[in-house]
Amino acid sequence: MLVSAEAAAVFEEQQGIRRILKANAKAREAGISPGLAVNAALALVPSLKLEERNPIREAQVLKNLAEWSEKFTAFTSIDGPSLLLLEIEGSRKLFGGIKPLRERIVRGLQSQGFHVEVAIAPTPLAATWLARSGQKVCIRDPRNLVGKLGPLPIHCLHWPDNVCKLLRGMGVTSIGEVLRLPRQGFAKRFSATRLLELDRALGRMPDPRVSYRAPERFVADFDLNEEESDSALLLNICQELLMRLERFLLSRQMAVQQIEFVFFHLQVPATHLPLGCVRADRAVQHWFDLLEIKFDRLALAAPVIAIQLRSGEGQRFTAETDALPFNKPERQQRNVSIAHLAERLSARIGEEAVHGVMTVAEYRPQHAWQRRNVFDGVPHCANVQGCELYSDTPGLLAGVRRTNSLVLQRPLWMLQKPEQLVTEQEMPCYQGRLELVEGPERLETGWWDDDGIARDYFIARNPRGVYLWVFRDRCQVGGRRNSWYLHGMFG
Amino acid sequence: MTAYAELHALSNFTFLRGASHPEELVETAASLGYEALAITDECSVSGVVRAHMAAKEGGLGNLKLIVGSEFCLETSLKLVVLAKSHEGYAALCRLITQGRRAAKKGSYKLTADDFRDGLHDCLVLWVPGNQLFLGAEDAWITEVFSGRLWIAVELLTDGLERLRLERLQHLSRALNLPLVACGDVHMHSRERRALQDTLTAIREGVTLDRAGFALYPNGERYLRSRKSISKIYPRELLQETVRIADSIRFSLDELRYEYPDELVPAGETPTSWLRQLTEEGMQKRWPAGTPGKVMALVEHELELIRDLRYEAFFLTVYDIVSFARRQHILCQGRGSAANSAVCFCLGITEVDPERMATLVERFISKERNEPPDIDVDFEHERREEVIQYIYQKYGRERAALAATVITYRPRSALRDIGKALGLSGLQVDRLARSMQWWDGQEVDDSRVLEAGLDPASPLIRRLLYLVRQVMGFPRHLSQHVGGFVISNGPLSELVPVENATMADRTVIQWEKNDLEDLGLLKVDVLGLGMLTAIRRSFDLIRDFDGREYTLASVPAEDPLVYDMICEGDTMGVFQIESRAQMAMLPRLKPRCYYDLVIEVAIIRPGPIQGDMVHPYLRRRSGEEPVEYPSDEVREVLQRTLGVPIFQEQVMQLAVVAAGFTPGEADRLRRAMAAWKRRGGLGPFEEKLIRGMQERGYKEDFARQIFQQILGFGEYGFPESHSASFALLVYVSCWLKCHEPAAFTCALLNSQPMGFYSASQLTQDARRHGVSVRPVDVNESGWDSSLERTQNGKPALRLGLRQVKGLPAAAGEAVISKRESPYTSIQQLLERTNLDRRELSALAAAGALKSLAGHRHKVRWTVAGVEEPTPLFASLDRYEAVPMLRRPTEGQDIVADYQSLGLTLGRHPVALLRKQLDTWRYVAAAELGGLTSGRHICIAGLVITKQRPGTASGVTFVTLEDETGCSNLIIWKKIAEEQRDVLLNARLMGVQGELQREGKVIHVIARTLTDHSALLGELSVKSRDFR
Repeated sequence: MLVSAEAAAVFEEQQGIRRILKANAKAREAGISPGLAVNAALALVPSLKLEERNPIREAQVLKNLAEWSEKFTAFTSIDGPSLLLLEIEGSRKLFGGIKPLRERIVRGLQSQGFHVEVAIAPTPLAATWLARSGQKVCIRDPRNLVGKLGPLPIHCLHWPDNVCKLLRGMGVTSIGEVLRLPRQGFAKRFSATRLLELDRALGRMPDPRVSYRAPERFVADFDLNEEESDSALLLNICQELLMRLERFLLSRQMAVQQIEFVFFHLQVPATHLPLGCVRADRAVQHWFDLLEIKFDRLALAAPVIAIQLRSGEGQRFTAETDALPFNKPERQQRNVSIAHLAERLSARIGEEAVHGVMTVAEYRPQHAWQRRNVFDGVPHCANVQGCELYSDTPGLLAGVRRTNSLVLQRPLWMLQKPEQLVTEQEMPCYQGRLELVEGPERLETGWWDDDGIARDYFIARNPRGVYLWVFRDRCQVGGRRNSWYLHGMFG
Repeated sequence: MTAYAELHALSNFTFLRGASHPEELVETAASLGYEALAITDECSVSGVVRAHMAAKEGGLGNLKLIVGSEFCLETSLKLVVLAKSHEGYAALCRLITQGRRAAKKGSYKLTADDFRDGLHDCLVLWVPGNQLFLGAEDAWITEVFSGRLWIAVELLTDGLERLRLERLQHLSRALNLPLVACGDVHMHSRERRALQDTLTAIREGVTLDRAGFALYPNGERYLRSRKSISKIYPRELLQETVRIADSIRFSLDELRYEYPDELVPAGETPTSWLRQLTEEGMQKRWPAGTPGKVMALVEHELELIRDLRYEAFFLTVYDIVSFARRQHILCQGRGSAANSAVCFCLGITEVDPERMATLVERFISKERNEPPDIDVDFEHERREEVIQYIYQKYGRERAALAATVITYRPRSALRDIGKALGLSGLQVDRLARSMQWWDGQEVDDSRVLEAGLDPASPLIRRLLYLVRQVMGFPRHLSQHVGGFVISNGPLSELVPVENATMADRTVIQWEKNDLEDLGLLKVDVLGLGMLTAIRRSFDLIRDFDGREYTLASVPAEDPLVYDMICEGDTMGVFQIESRAQMAMLPRLKPRCYYDLVIEVAIIRPGPIQGDMVHPYLRRRSGEEPVEYPSDEVREVLQRTLGVPIFQEQVMQLAVVAAGFTPGEADRLRRAMAAWKRRGGLGPFEEKLIRGMQERGYKEDFARQIFQQILGFGEYGFPESHSASFALLVYVSCWLKCHEPAAFTCALLNSQPMGFYSASQLTQDARRHGVSVRPVDVNESGWDSSLERTQNGKPALRLGLRQVKGLPAAAGEAVISKRESPYTSIQQLLERTNLDRRELSALAAAGALKSLAGHRHKVRWTVAGVEEPTPLFASLDRYEAVPMLRRPTEGQDIVADYQSLGLTLGRHPVALLRKQLDTWRYVAAAELGGLTSGRHICIAGLVITKQRPGTASGVTFVTLEDETGCSNLIIWKKIAEEQRDVLLNARLMGVQGELQREGKVIHVIARTLTDHSALLGELSVKSRDFR
């Protein structure tokens, strides 16, 4: 995002205040600098593009880069939130020397939109500190380390603030000055691990690192001898692939949430068929059920010559405890089956067409319920008690429930938009003059946004005996005060 | 139309529920023709006195005010309790006290058991919510309140009225309980609906769009017209309200209370005992015989006290003051009664009545009918001892502090309402911050713009609309600084008592004003930092060379002291040390005690806004003739040259010139305090002007007096207080003049207090020739102290208390283990067992310099010390010592400021002088040699910023450099244009014009520049005052 031509910045919440963490060149030109509060930044550039810092995504990006950098070296290591260590001594010759190798790495990263600080040194720590200082140096001889590291300010060490503060309080401000302190005295005051760190940086002590390994994914191909378009046969092959997936996952105690079938054709581009489920799974039958539904509606552009199955990233498999036969089925169990239903439904009619409904604690009828994505897990209802306030009991006047509590009536069938009614002698009409049975229920609320209401609601009956939910508008907008509207119908 | 009495109404003293002031409810109910209004705040009667006063004032027909309270029990049972008689009121107060004391501050807890004794002489309304049945666990109410229990029917157009009424009628028959109509009133007018919703959201801690069903669906909870009420409720339910109201015969006017009687020994009456104590005191004050004039005065006063039956009040104050004296706590009384000869004899005040010859009206008068007023100031650090003495002597049942109602101010209103409307925390912060300390009560559009928000957007318009409405709304009860109520019987039958935030404190539910309104007496036990400083100065002088001083024995009327005052050289003294005061002194040229009395009162918002300062100065210097329109007026104003300066004079003027009765004059005083809030003095204005015209005064004069009264507003300062303060002013000036080392030392030990920081006080002392010595573990005590120099004069040694981050216990350890001087840090550690953090604090302060050298070395050594182990305690461990750079002078100064808040090294600006010279900034000391009107540049640390609410938007800024201080005047326009610099600069450069008036030099600022970057890490805080 930061490479965009418009002003853009990433922010982070620090002690309750959102502050700019990084800004791109365009934003910096306008005076937006790291540490500035987001609102102050918006005051400078109202159109500033903002994105919140996402540590999880950053870690993911760094992992991807680690994978990417495997083409330069067999040994890559991730250290901290923004640091990659590459062992390049071994691949130096392969790329024609250190300079060309560095050029390739830097250009490769830059072309992906990253800002890169690179330093080359005989020890990983020395390289780290040099990179943090922003110096583009390349040290090949360990004897040069002391000279090059010495002038660096101590903040490059990334030691805790109180340690750096103490050092500065002693007049020690550079790594060189740290190195000149008596070793024993230093270890006593700042711990032996910090001394070890210094020694490792200078190559006096070994500094072993853990190499990065990409997570495993499952990929399997099935090549057909000749082009095939018999769906029963294709499904069989798919099932065979799914069984291989299951074996793969079983042996690793894993499950996946997404898989994809790719059907290759000779003449035309391949057909992709992605499948997803609510909970990570590995059972052949489950995936196969989903596949059958979708495959049915899949129009293959041409006969198939090969099939590939790829899995998404594996997750640790969590087993469900099955209910014992004499236990009542648990609620959770039911949720799972509803989830399966939702999966199947959306596999059939499309994800956009399936959604859940939740009630919201709101007096305004138009805001009293909301759609929610079925795949979003547990609904978050603002005020669960509030859901008890209304009833749509068919017995219209059974307002008093058994508990002697008063409950308000809301129709099950609500109009998207209230429909204005004509009046006859000041009484509203809908298929005849209405008789007001119950009311008024006065609602005056929502003034805080631009959708406030001031209405008197009534339950009304028309000559055909249909019960309607109507209201009289009390807002004085354009002289339309006291207009009547239909808002819903009782079943 | 049927008559109606509202029996269930909440005011905004049910915090974050009620959305109208009690006065608004009373006024509206009266204008709607209600028979009665019950103020029934939730477990509180905090708002009833205001309602009571509103109902009494201004001819509001015959609206009856009923005192009651709403309670919600743990079973969700909601009851409204109304006091039927004085006895019922006492029972109600007891119940509220019980509920409040059983829960933490701000909440209450009541169970059925608390009601078991039946709330004698109270009427009870049961308010069913949406649960239309009486739960088994709540069934006790029908028994306990049998015969005086009603079911409250509240029909609020929520669509369920028909059903509710039906069910409740059914229930009424089933339980054999009568029904009565109620309105569950939360506001006086439906226009407060938005505010009520907002308060609800604030209470629930959510934004409005998340508040959901915590809000009310509509705005029907207001005082509805009788017409609409009679459409909604059956007639008999309305008639019942009036029947209930008629059966109630309690008014707050019945409250009286008795002072404790244990103050008088057996066999004596309060009158005889007070006389005896006074006579004993008289002998002490005048061992050679009391002057006849004083004798006559005492006789007259004692007679008056007897007639008004105020003996117990004087005895109570005497008892508290005697306790303080026994504990060697310095104290002094002030206020109308405090300046009496009786109080001087009793030792309540030290102001000799002879010295006060010019004070005419010095005592309570029978005609004025106001309760005697005595505030007693104690040393601020020891006031708690006095408070605990009072609690111990009278018990918690009989003594409590008055409350202070904390109200919404612009900043808190913006914060709370902004959050409720969904502004981000950041936006709210910015908005609140841009309403800096100097913006008045109103919220200004331009500030909104500055915070990056659009004042025209609907959201911001809503915000400002609500903020304006909520301003002045009570938010919570806090404790009054020291207003004690002490009674003979249990206090909780007079007014409910609740827990304060501080443990061991309880407060009543009424404010000081409420007590005054009801004519109840209170004693103010206040803390005053200057008394602490004066007592410490006296102690230091005594310990240094044995001279003993008391407030009364400091040599009076010393011309050297007045010379110093006339120079404006008053940093650190009492009251006359502010910038405005300092600038006034060379013009006013006080030469005697009474001049100080005037000086204390005149530089106050009241006289400044009323434009009394300049006429007084002109008359004093003879530039303007002193004239009086009549002899009566001359009588009142002569001592202040015809210009009203004291609050008492304004009231006396109303009496002698406009024919007010003393009682009316007293009401005028109260109205004066509130006219801004209520927008005018109402009927008083006309009465005052007409009264004066009738007595032959010109309208111009009348108008002028009226304007002065308005200007006085709530800021008029009483002469009776000024007189006591002036004594402390004089004593502190005497100390500064003759004992600067002891005085500065005492001030440092009494911080925080006053206008100036430790840094400024020590610099001022050094400029006056006091030698100040650094903090040193081998020399310093915990407090700063005096050391003898070679020439026998005292030098000031800074104490360990100046060291930031050093706990007192650690300081004490350093001192108590110092049998012989410490020779190394390791040894210090072994003897004292300080932890590393405490050692580091000492290191940062430079207090270990004598042990280990410069700060870098000291820090290295401290970081390396080891916990002493018993076995190797005395082993000297050899350790290689590294070569560490010396800190630069600048680094040392920064470290000094960070740890001690002051430096004994060069002033930080001295280090920047070269740079400042290239920019042509002059030093403060050079200003004296320049001509008035010259264009100059000056720079310095910003040490104070003051914007008096009165000086028509002028900001006073004091800059300090290595040569002294310079005073800036920044006009409103400049301040607004360059607000950023003014608010943020720590080192400020100014271009402007030099202005000289006699010895007073000001720089009128034109351009401000922020040079703070030059200071680097140096942390200098400006002290900002309104």
